[in-house]
Amino acid sequence: MRNALLVRRLALAAMAGALLSIWAFPVLWALLTSFKTERDVLAYPPVWWFTPTMANYREVLFGSSSIVPNLVSSMVVSVSTTLLTMLFAVPAAYALARLRYPAKRASGFYVLATQMLPPVGLIIPYYLALQRVGGLDTYAGMIAIYLTFSLPFAIWLMVSYFEDVPFEMEEAALLDRAGRLRALWHVILPQVRGGIAVTTVFVFLNAWNEFLFAVVLGGNRVRPVTVAMFNFISVEQTQWARLAAGAMVAMAPVIVLGLLAQRHIVKGLTVGAVKGGGRR
Amino acid sequence: MTRFETRERGFALALLGPALLLLLLITTAPLIYLGWTSLQRLDLGMPWLSGLAGVDNYAKMSADPRFWNSLALTFVYTASTVLLQVVLGLSLALLVLQIPRGQGVLRVAAILPIVLAPVVVGLFWRTLVLAPDFGLVDLVTRALGLGSHNWLGDPQLALISVIAIHTWQWTPFAFLVLLATLATLPPDIYEAARLDRATAWKRFVHITLPLIRPAVVMVVILRTMTALSAFAAIFAATGGGPGSSTEILNLYAYRTSFSELNLGYGASLAVVLLAITLAVSWLLFRRRRAPA
Repeated sequence: MRNALLVRRLALAAMAGALLSIWAFPVLWALLTSFKTERDVLAYPPVWWFTPTMANYREVLFGSSSIVPNLVSSMVVSVSTTLLTMLFAVPAAYALARLRYPAKRASGFYVLATQMLPPVGLIIPYYLALQRVGGLDTYAGMIAIYLTFSLPFAIWLMVSYFEDVPFEMEEAALLDRAGRLRALWHVILPQVRGGIAVTTVFVFLNAWNEFLFAVVLGGNRVRPVTVAMFNFISVEQTQWARLAAGAMVAMAPVIVLGLLAQRHIVKGLTVGAVKGGGRR
Repeated sequence: MTRFETRERGFALALLGPALLLLLLITTAPLIYLGWTSLQRLDLGMPWLSGLAGVDNYAKMSADPRFWNSLALTFVYTASTVLLQVVLGLSLALLVLQIPRGQGVLRVAAILPIVLAPVVVGLFWRTLVLAPDFGLVDLVTRALGLGSHNWLGDPQLALISVIAIHTWQWTPFAFLVLLATLATLPPDIYEAARLDRATAWKRFVHITLPLIRPAVVMVVILRTMTALSAFAAIFAATGGGPGSSTEILNLYAYRTSFSELNLGYGASLAVVLLAITLAVSWLLFRRRRAPA
């Protein structure tokens, strides 16, 4: 009886492990490839034991087609987007979560609706408008369109954190004759510090991974790393090892952040749909 | 109205106003411009023809086989990826729930695809996974004696491949959400059912499914929205090709606008995609509120 249970457990674990390795394996394979020479990449049957080389990393970091300028572009766009987003989203989310005012449901629904817009519908007018004012290939244009997906997302995620703060704390602060702004700043915000951190991580992650807006609005000055990765394959079709090394460098920040925030990932991914429009 | 309420309103306006104004400026205004553009003849390849076109762009669509093809592909792509994600994600969640230890490692593996940029995922698959002869899939099929295939070069295989890529990247999402939901279900209901001698399948259909229905519907809503505007992974893996065999409406609108530079027609295609997205989300949200 006990043995049967153990066998069943082991079989289940093996099945789950096999299925989950389908997710991990391509990524680990890419990591392995990034240390191979181009000759080892195209060996058949594939080689598992090989002398690792750092040449690919040297090339993508310091070579003629270095992705360092692209990392800088990504960093500037993502950090600015994140800061601006949080500046607008935190106060707005507090109002949506806690304050009473007219047309509250409508305003909540409006924010949710803007989150669902297909990006291709936004990129066409942005391209035309920015072209007219010389805004293509500029950080300002890029950040403006990045806000279209980060702001609604951040507002809804923050709403869910503000709603977790107990009402009593707020009432106590207000009875204490502290102004509303002071109550928000000194009492409420410290309560949602964790939520702010998680939201910041997700906004940054989404901005870093963006591709469609970047490939259309970017150029020689502002070219995020996702676009550089794409260009890489169209220029040097067969240099897989170098592509893998570049991808590892490009994705390192989001992998690290994703693993750090892993316990919050479910909440971050399901934001908005949980509430479905401010219904309080 | 009391003075207190007036002050609360003022405070709400001060906090929410800036964000709403900004959203109006960066999302709603461009959409109006998109609608206006869709009524124009605006082809950067033939700028001398530019001018108001009325509903010509929309009329052109009905006779455009590439449009109908993209519409059908959008449907196939969205329906199959969402269905696969939910079925695989739920099965896996039920499986992992039986395992007392090691769930942490499994969760880390599941998070990897989610945090990767879709464009990088598309590139990985195009080279390391699906490339003829040297890709992982071909290594397996060759070892099994099934031969080598041009996974992204053959129209039908290419469609299956982009569906597989999307499913690979986003099934972890369904898995994680459903795993979290299943973990919160009260165990005593199951005890009662066991005493009533309900079979495992009956317990699943009559107890588990109704309880997790809201979570499943939520996953369907979010995954449908993502699938409808999927872009980077397909673009990196096939570019919509070969021919237009993986060209969902989103890619068709992009290619028309930015490869063929016909922004007027591209805008009208984007408007159609927008209408479909809003209609589908409205339908799904209504289902979510329907009583179980």
